[in-house]
Amino acid sequence: MSEFDAALAIFTQETEELLAQMEYGLLSLEDNPEDMESINTVFRAMHTIKGTSGLFGFDHVVAFTHEAETVLDTVRKGERPIDETLISILLNCKDHTANLIQHSLLGENEPLPETLKAVGTDLIAQLTGIPASSATIATVNTSTDQVTLTSCNQGSDDNWLILLKFRKNALRNGIDPLSFISYLKNKGDIVEIQTLAPELPSGHLMDPEACYLHFNIIFHSDLDKQAIADVFEFADDDCDIRIIAPHSKVEHYLSLLQEQTNDDETHIEKLGEMLINIGALTQNEVISALQQQNNHANQTNAMPKPLGEILIEQQFAEQPVIIQALKKQQSARERNIAEANYIRVDSAKLGHIINLVGELVISGAAMRLLVDRYGLNDVEEVAVGMNDLVSDIRDTALKLRMVAIGETFSRFRRTVRDVSGELNKQIELVISGGETELDKTVVEKINDPLTHLIRNALDHGIERPEQRLALGKPAQGTVHLNAYHDSGHIVIQIADDGAGLNADKILAKALANGFVTADQQLTRQEIFNLIFEAGLSTKEQASNLSGRGVGMDVVRRNIEILRGSVSLDSIEGRGTTVTIQLPLTLAIIDGFMVETENERYIIPLSMIEECVEMNPAEWEIDNIQHYISLRGEVLPYLRLGDYFNNRSRHTGRDQRESLVVVRFGQAKVGLVVDQLHGEHQTVIKPLGKVFEQLQGISGATVLGNGDVALILDVQALIQHAIKKRGAHVHATTH
Amino acid sequence: MINLAIEGKHSNTAQVAGDQFQQYLTFLVGKDNFGINILDVKEIIEINNITRIPKTPDYIRGVINLRGNVVPVIDLSARLDRQRSEITKLSCIVLVEVDVHGEGQVIGALVDQVNEILDIAEANIQPAPDFGTDMRTDFIQAMGRVDDNFIILLAINRILSIDELSQLQRVATNQANLALSDDTSNFKKLDNSDEH
Amino acid sequence: MTINVIDKDGVVHAAIQGEMTIYNAMEQKNKLAEYLKPVLELHLDLSEVSEIDSAGLQLLLWLKQEATQLNLIQHSQAVVEVFELLNLASHFGDPIVLSSHWKTS
Repeated sequence: MSEFDAALAIFTQETEELLAQMEYGLLSLEDNPEDMESINTVFRAMHTIKGTSGLFGFDHVVAFTHEAETVLDTVRKGERPIDETLISILLNCKDHTANLIQHSLLGENEPLPETLKAVGTDLIAQLTGIPASSATIATVNTSTDQVTLTSCNQGSDDNWLILLKFRKNALRNGIDPLSFISYLKNKGDIVEIQTLAPELPSGHLMDPEACYLHFNIIFHSDLDKQAIADVFEFADDDCDIRIIAPHSKVEHYLSLLQEQTNDDETHIEKLGEMLINIGALTQNEVISALQQQNNHANQTNAMPKPLGEILIEQQFAEQPVIIQALKKQQSARERNIAEANYIRVDSAKLGHIINLVGELVISGAAMRLLVDRYGLNDVEEVAVGMNDLVSDIRDTALKLRMVAIGETFSRFRRTVRDVSGELNKQIELVISGGETELDKTVVEKINDPLTHLIRNALDHGIERPEQRLALGKPAQGTVHLNAYHDSGHIVIQIADDGAGLNADKILAKALANGFVTADQQLTRQEIFNLIFEAGLSTKEQASNLSGRGVGMDVVRRNIEILRGSVSLDSIEGRGTTVTIQLPLTLAIIDGFMVETENERYIIPLSMIEECVEMNPAEWEIDNIQHYISLRGEVLPYLRLGDYFNNRSRHTGRDQRESLVVVRFGQAKVGLVVDQLHGEHQTVIKPLGKVFEQLQGISGATVLGNGDVALILDVQALIQHAIKKRGAHVHATTH
Repeated sequence: MINLAIEGKHSNTAQVAGDQFQQYLTFLVGKDNFGINILDVKEIIEINNITRIPKTPDYIRGVINLRGNVVPVIDLSARLDRQRSEITKLSCIVLVEVDVHGEGQVIGALVDQVNEILDIAEANIQPAPDFGTDMRTDFIQAMGRVDDNFIILLAINRILSIDELSQLQRVATNQANLALSDDTSNFKKLDNSDEH
Repeated sequence: MTINVIDKDGVVHAAIQGEMTIYNAMEQKNKLAEYLKPVLELHLDLSEVSEIDSAGLQLLLWLKQEATQLNLIQHSQAVVEVFELLNLASHFGDPIVLSSHWKTS
């Protein structure tokens, strides 16, 4: 990857984040139009996108965002009220900006397609209230500085004050002050000039080859401070130069200071740097002030004077600007205290670390195996210690990749807003549990299924306001997104207070399609879960079933690929809740190793309730109905060896078997295995596409001896065991 | 691990003719000699422990650990509708990278013995006959003539097509469930419905 | 450079010819200094000043400061340009007569 490409990749990621922030800010504004912080967020995001797009020469983006930024600036200054219409326009602007960036990424400055152009023109017209023809689109330069300068107004007060005090030796050093002033004249308009020689000695003391000239110049120009200073570049050593910004500039600097966002969050800008960056000071001014600071400190042996004080004394910069800059510095410092511990890391690097930790775990297991095999007692202790460290490292490494789900949730605020607008429904999105963390790789993959489920809730769950009112519900419907942790899983719920589902209708449909038979007795839960069967809900069925089921099989498949599960519950007329359970990580888990028929399997430890030895003498084991009565509790069971070997009847063994009680959600099942091997740190390796359809196995891992062991899909096994028992119970009752 | 030196043996006559050559790795499955294009072969390894995967068709031999990655192994003989291979000292796994919707996936093919790498002139490669073999014709890429014998050049990407392997597997899983419900035939339909 | 000086009733009339620059500022200063104290009025004819730089200008400022009365007359184009650039005409207070022969700059 070239440096440019790398920069572009960062640009892409950053703008994505900024656009997300912008959207978030706008949506917050909708709820609370007075929220200055949100306005600033939106403004800053737009401003930064403009700036960075400029760096890459994405002129279309710069041109458009410039217009949007200008409008946002008026909002920020309180000159323009923000209302729903404006927010809507700005949301569209955000989308348009995203499109423009997409376009630019494809082919830098390819001409814009007509459609995009039209959208842009239209949006600018809406934003400014002026037809786009008069709004400047083409005149914006790629450099950010130039853009901001052209945007600053040029009223009559807009004059620079330049104070020049030439030093004695100027003339002898070949500096002719006149020539500089002539040159300055070419750069702008000398409104007024005073020529002074206050220290001109009288009589013979006057040295005609020494320089006594001072000039005070009022100067009008579009140049920025540095450019003006550059005029006097060669006189730097022989002249004290003060360039004082026009009043309008002071305001300009103040606003620049406010906008200035520090990309490198851990870095506190020095006062001087900050003022140079916004153009309020030149490099030389800062150097000179710093020298004075030094000299002063050396002479008086006292505490050095603050730089800001010197800058004001020396009239290098204007007091309000410096005060603002100092404030800014202070707040950056405070923020740093809070944020100093965050580092932006390439997720590929994290992935690599986690892979390495995975290998480390496997190597650790291999070592343990050897230690045990050769009975190396003195190594044992070291091995145990290392094992503990490895599992600490594993946990820490995995945590690195954990992110809160809140951000994913927040994105749906836009969906809800837009869809409710389209459908003329009033819908509020309530988010809770946003701080719940899960692996970033899982987050990325859950987005599509979530979108689908939320759209379903919006489209078909929530009724129109008039319907709701007629039913005695509040006109505004609610969709609730919730997340929490439960036994090594994250649970995500999408609940709406809409129409709900009619179980009878679903069952009728399922019967008609042959998914179930009439003699089958299904629980309400099972009936609702039929929704996830492919082809159950067809289009003509959609209205009957509130449309749920369209693509629900896809939702389920996507979630199952993540080793998760999904279920649905509903009360007709009251609402529907879809519950998704996902593993926290797709990388490494604590597992429990069991053996059956000489094959080893891993069960996720978080799902194990208890392990007990099978005790046929004391327990009531029903081999036909497949249940065990364990301490009075009726427990369906599954003999793993039989299940995996497709045997229907247990062949009987002399060896004592063990029972592993696993739990998923409310359901509990016993798995009968030959032998227990104990806990095992399990690095999850995908089985790949070939085994996508495989039942009862969710993945594989590499054991210490290099062999592959399979990881059980406990959810699937539980479901199988329950259904199997259900079938037998059902059969006997007939 | 066996690292076969991949060096072709050009036959002199062919070189004189200036023909284009294709290199084929030949191996035994049962008693038959087959070839696959050397460009499809990633690596040839000897057999370690293969972990069986339950509820899969015969031709899925299991999975192996290939330097930390779990790689499926297909029993080529069973895949070609023959008996499962017996594992002997000469058995090898030929690792092939197949394309799955744009992503490469490594799959192992269990063969009974790896023979040699042959240069076959393109002129000597002929389309597969429509009949006369006991194999699915789409598994045959072409026939290669070596001296007076023909060897079957396999369409390995077709044989190891992930889409087909995973589809067939589902059928096998369903069949397994049917088998399971055989002795409780009353509930055949119920168990069947589990799998939807 | 030459300075032609006519001393008449305490009024010195001096005409400067050539350039007024750093290269001859010392010489000019020394020469003009002689006429400062004893005289009441100094009339400086600048019509033949071909070039004037900061040192020359400074010299004029010094003369203005030192002399009892300094009258600048017959400013040459070079002098006028500098006075205009630095807005000095009012400081010296002398009427400036522009000549139509000057090149427009």
